[in-house]
Amino acid sequence: MSFNETDVQNALKNLIDPNTRKDFVSGKSVKNIVVSGSDVSLDILLGYPAMSVWGEIKAMVEAHLKSALPGVGRVSASVSSKVVPHAVQRGVKLVEGVKNIIAVASGKGGVGKSTTAVNLALALAAEGARVGVLDADIYGPSQPTMLGITGQPESADGKNLQPMMSHGLQAMSIGFLIDADTPMIWRGPMVTQALDQLLHQTKWDNLDYLVVDLPPGTGDIQLSLAQNVPVTGAVIVTTPQDIALLDARKGLKMFEKVGIKIVGIVENMSTHICTQCGHEEHIFGAGGGEKMCADYNTEFLGGLPLDIRIREQADSGTPTVVADPDGAIAKVYKQIARRIAVKVADMAQDHSAVFPKIVVQST
Amino acid sequence: MSEQATEIKLHQQSSMLEITFSDDECFELPYEFLRVYSPSADVSGHGPGQEVLQLGKKNVGVSGVVPAGSYALQINFDDGHHTGLYTWEYLYKLGKNQTALWQDYLARLEVAGGSRESLR
Repeated sequence: MSFNETDVQNALKNLIDPNTRKDFVSGKSVKNIVVSGSDVSLDILLGYPAMSVWGEIKAMVEAHLKSALPGVGRVSASVSSKVVPHAVQRGVKLVEGVKNIIAVASGKGGVGKSTTAVNLALALAAEGARVGVLDADIYGPSQPTMLGITGQPESADGKNLQPMMSHGLQAMSIGFLIDADTPMIWRGPMVTQALDQLLHQTKWDNLDYLVVDLPPGTGDIQLSLAQNVPVTGAVIVTTPQDIALLDARKGLKMFEKVGIKIVGIVENMSTHICTQCGHEEHIFGAGGGEKMCADYNTEFLGGLPLDIRIREQADSGTPTVVADPDGAIAKVYKQIARRIAVKVADMAQDHSAVFPKIVVQST
Repeated sequence: MSEQATEIKLHQQSSMLEITFSDDECFELPYEFLRVYSPSADVSGHGPGQEVLQLGKKNVGVSGVVPAGSYALQINFDDGHHTGLYTWEYLYKLGKNQTALWQDYLARLEVAGGSRESLR
């Protein structure tokens, strides 16, 4: 029995990508179907970085086609990823060298935004993406410590800064430019200007994702980010207790008000595992993050335990995803990162929220 | 999520801002109307009851508009006022209630004995 490209397409319509939960055809992943005789070859181009599951998807697609197409000979699928740049609102200038900007935010301080941001960035990089981290916390930069970076960034042209490199990430922080114990005693306008410079005057090199580690709150930095920066989406980090959730809700509401999409919520310090006896306990309460997601119709991206290793590894400059890449915690970070990447890829295809056309007429 | 603006036209001759929303609603908002209902704290105050009645804006022009992120529009008026950020939600509300709001403005103007005409 013979078959053609359409049959191959149709067969793939019944195969669901476990990451996007959509079939490969409507996800626009299937390219270059070639049928020669009874042999089939095709490319699967994923919109999210997923180096660790390429093999799995290849095997899945090949097995599916073998069973769906009777009489098929050799089937060869080649799987790769290509992150597409997100459409930005008109009037906001694109950041050069950056395809997508993901803001990591929370209402409350101390919930683990920076730790989460750096681990998610590393997890995206581990899947083969080009990732940068921008530390937007001008008053309390944490990324230099967490990435173990010392020294100052260089400037080739005397105007723009080269990002610092660590664990394969490109990074920029006000912490690189000042002494560790120098406080930034600045009012709002200075801070927003500094953020603007860190973002636009860093020579980001062809990034798929720029993860912006925001300070807590809903003030100057968050607002100028919303107004002047083409943010693809925001990830909210919270801990499960009511007092943190209260402020996380405000953070989420703020992004809604300024038209930035919410990618989802990460619950940090979900449970504590006793280092003595191994007992797992919800010391900050259970189900807070999930409940908030249900209330606001957002995705629960995942929960992380309150584990001493996460803290120790981040403090020593090698965050968990690189310190213990195959461990259980790194796995959770990678899973969350993949969910974010899939969501972001979806957003890139959705052009409903682009900025309106503005016309000036002499009528 | 509220309606998104899809197109904005500035009619400079007739002093009118034409705005179309994603649900195909289209409103024509005169510059004077937008100016006297600016959401800026200079005009709307910091809460209900703190509004400052605007006078003499009949011939106000618009020198330009600047988008604020993807949620609002900053309108630069030629009388120097530029601190109002008009969110899509607010512009939609102005469009929907244009007649009532305008009558309300005229009534307040009369009570205060003010005029739409500029003193220039």
